[in-house]
Amino acid sequence: MALISRRFFYDFDYVLLAIVLALTSFGILGVYSATWEAGPGPLRGHLLRVALGLVLCLFFSLFDYRRLTDHALPIYLGAVAVLVATLFFGTEIKGSRSWIQFAGFGLQPSEMAKLAVLLVLAKFLGEVRESYLGMRTLVLLGGLFGLPVLLIILQGDMGTALMYFSLLGATLFLAGLKMRIVVAMVLAASLLAPIGWFSLQDYQRERIMVTFNPDHDPQGVGYQVRQSKIAIGSGGLTGKGLGKGLQSQLGFVPEVHTDFIFALLAEEVGFLGGGTILILFGLLLLRILSVAGEAADRTGILLAAGVAALIFLHMLTNVGMTLGILPAIGVPLPFVSYGGSSTLTMFAAVGMVINVRTRRFLY
Amino acid sequence: MPINQDNRPLNRRLAILQVVFGLVLLLLLGKLWHLSVVHYSFYEELAHNNRVRTVPLVAPRGLILDREGRVLADNVPSSKLLVYRDELDDEEATYAFIARGLGLSPSQVRESVEKASRRVGRFRPLEVTGSLSLEQVAYFKARQAEHPEVRISRQPRRLYRHGPLAAHVLGYVGEINEAQLGSKEFQGFKPGDVIGKFGLERQYNRLLSGKDGSALVRVNSQGKATAEISRQEPTRGSPLHITLDLDLQMAAEEALSQEIGAVVALDPRNGEVLAMASSPAYDPNGFARGLSAEEWEELNNPGKPLQNRAIQNAYSPGSIFKVVMAAAGLRSGVYSLDTTVYCNGGATIYGHRFRCHHSGGHGRVGLELAIERSCNVYFYQMGRQMPIDQIHHYASQFGLGRATGIDLPGEVSGLLPSTRWKREARDQPWYPGETISVSIGQGPINVTPLQLASAIGVAATGRAPRPHLALRSGAGEVSSQAAPNLLEDFDPRHIEGIRQGMWRAVNNWGTARAARVEGFDVAGKTGTAQVIGRETLEKLSKEEAARFTTNAWFAGFAPRDNPEVVVVALVQQGGGGGAKAAPIAGKLFDLYYRKHHLHEPMQSPVELR
Repeated sequence: MALISRRFFYDFDYVLLAIVLALTSFGILGVYSATWEAGPGPLRGHLLRVALGLVLCLFFSLFDYRRLTDHALPIYLGAVAVLVATLFFGTEIKGSRSWIQFAGFGLQPSEMAKLAVLLVLAKFLGEVRESYLGMRTLVLLGGLFGLPVLLIILQGDMGTALMYFSLLGATLFLAGLKMRIVVAMVLAASLLAPIGWFSLQDYQRERIMVTFNPDHDPQGVGYQVRQSKIAIGSGGLTGKGLGKGLQSQLGFVPEVHTDFIFALLAEEVGFLGGGTILILFGLLLLRILSVAGEAADRTGILLAAGVAALIFLHMLTNVGMTLGILPAIGVPLPFVSYGGSSTLTMFAAVGMVINVRTRRFLY
Repeated sequence: MPINQDNRPLNRRLAILQVVFGLVLLLLLGKLWHLSVVHYSFYEELAHNNRVRTVPLVAPRGLILDREGRVLADNVPSSKLLVYRDELDDEEATYAFIARGLGLSPSQVRESVEKASRRVGRFRPLEVTGSLSLEQVAYFKARQAEHPEVRISRQPRRLYRHGPLAAHVLGYVGEINEAQLGSKEFQGFKPGDVIGKFGLERQYNRLLSGKDGSALVRVNSQGKATAEISRQEPTRGSPLHITLDLDLQMAAEEALSQEIGAVVALDPRNGEVLAMASSPAYDPNGFARGLSAEEWEELNNPGKPLQNRAIQNAYSPGSIFKVVMAAAGLRSGVYSLDTTVYCNGGATIYGHRFRCHHSGGHGRVGLELAIERSCNVYFYQMGRQMPIDQIHHYASQFGLGRATGIDLPGEVSGLLPSTRWKREARDQPWYPGETISVSIGQGPINVTPLQLASAIGVAATGRAPRPHLALRSGAGEVSSQAAPNLLEDFDPRHIEGIRQGMWRAVNNWGTARAARVEGFDVAGKTGTAQVIGRETLEKLSKEEAARFTTNAWFAGFAPRDNPEVVVVALVQQGGGGGAKAAPIAGKLFDLYYRKHHLHEPMQSPVELR
């Protein structure tokens, strides 16, 4: 059982938590600026979820992470079951059936399931005895990974499904895939890309086209991305001041408190603010990777590195979209966007990283 | 748990990951620098020329119509004055300009702009005033070019076609306030929205509120719209058909106009409220237009015109309660239909003399005569044999002591006493003598006119449908108005006896003769309730005392054998029961009879435009 010993406090990763809290405060500023007109409700909701996230973070750092990885398979199977249930009984919001209503909250199991998939990958690959992964192992892994991802694609939530590949990529890469295979996979992926292209929905293809040619549709997605770029560009070095972002406040920038919150912050607190956010992400990632480097076992390494990859891909996709250099795939910016299931998941993930660091010595 | 794992290849790859992450982040930082520092002026310019305005397109509220489809609440176009603060170069000049146009002082304008700006973002238009006159519109239109920051916007405004008619039922609308913005009830509404604040407007606010739209318009530097970028059409709110009958409602308000009080008419077969009037009334159009300080003062004066006396206030029922008491006594088996008592002008119970209002005495009195003549002694003796909690049990089956659940906000529950209530509210035991008072509707018992109408309906039909006002809406049925049958096995012979007694009260020599209608079998009961205590009473002359200290009630139904309509009238400080309330009810019965039984054409009401 989790005993909160003096040792726990001594080994707790305060630095990591401090970086996360710094990012969170930027998020709070942004959400406040984006929603103050609608009354205190949204901000209250955001703060509530952040608080809940912190509780989860603490919870996941309390007991030895190996207790989690030891039960990785049942946890994983439970998550898959919930994903299946969501597919059949979920609520449809904005075109994807990925929500379940629970106690007045809308939860997205596809967010929570990221942790289950990471646990199973870390456990499985952490105990592989081969120095390089063989074919059988890879096929089994592919199945373990493919099932939940396929379910999420079926729910119609491409953005979230895409994020899962960070988990697979990081763990495989670290667990000793031959460089040859890495290269082969990259090649295979580029060969398969056209097939993927045609299996996408029209609007998703549209989004990718727009990235390369923003003037392609001045009213739709391209318009949004353009507005986002204007917002960021017109923020200048120091920004226009909180609540004074013409672009963001007028509602030109869509989803300004969720997916486009980075644009609002860059407009209102300028390059200095936006840059600080990026640097904080850099510090966060390096810190998590250094935790991975000190971990007690392979499973711990893979867990921490998987979390880093997950945060990294979210950040890249989100910031890349607002800067207009990546397709407009709506994913939240970890710790900054308006709270939801993703916020809770990210905090829990950081809790696991702290956990790995706390138990880096074998005792 | 493997201990001697060789993690060196792993660490090498971790280092690779570090490098990749770092490089990508530098790339993003570079792009950010590129946008917001290198190309700052380019994007700044774009943002500046992105002079796009959101023009609010306010959705008209759904119509409210009476049961025959006559419009009670409508919308009219009105003009509002908006200020765009992001284009405000010279505040002083702008305020002075608006002040000239509106005939206010610049400081008043400044004050109203600053007040509004606390809740609205810098780039959204601020509303300076509710509705402009034609001259004011012309004034601002003519000077559009000089002051592009000030604009006129056409928006629908709520119009109550008949002014104060049915004001308490309809309620009124107004701009959402701070407290409401944070509340669950108004979740999803934003500052500046007009919402239902009272009455049906509030109860069915979600249904009646449409969905506002907005247009994105590109404007040039003079503030002229050059192109519309996108437009989201507003959707109109759903219409609401209600159970009121405009003819009856008008008659009720007219009859009540010189009094303070309330009138309720309902159909006991299904709980549909046909008329609900409360006096003094107010004009809900004032709220939609915006109220002056004097008007506001007027509305909050001691007369409380905003209060719906039919549901928001509970009064001592006086002798009207005897109808419910009679039913309770019969159902509990304490009295039978054949029970008689001898009335010699009073009764001595628990060593105390309880008087009958007819000091000569009524002689031998049975059920029908007791109701017809309102004999106290018959009910005193009944009360002596029934514990208060038994009275409470039966009377609550008539819906007394709790809200009826009508679809209006603010209904009070009234008071039906019990030993438990006395213990909790007053921390005292219940005294048997109090039961004797309660048995004739005096003492700690209070009812709303609506509760009483509902209870009389139960006594006259044995059924208890929930009173309600919504008939149907454009969006389908409003809410199920299932009639909970409060009553187990109501003996039809009991109903017969009570109906007969009430019919005699109106048509024989009873207390309610003023409610008679030639050719129509009206049955009813009057009541008079003391309002102030005995000490105050003794300081007044006899006439004053009667005028100022009693509430006059009438409650009745018609026709006797197959009741279609229940009417309750309350006149505050109206003297003896028959005097003020019964004639008001009589007018309603008369109109109902002529409309539904003689099929006379009705005068169509005058409408405001």
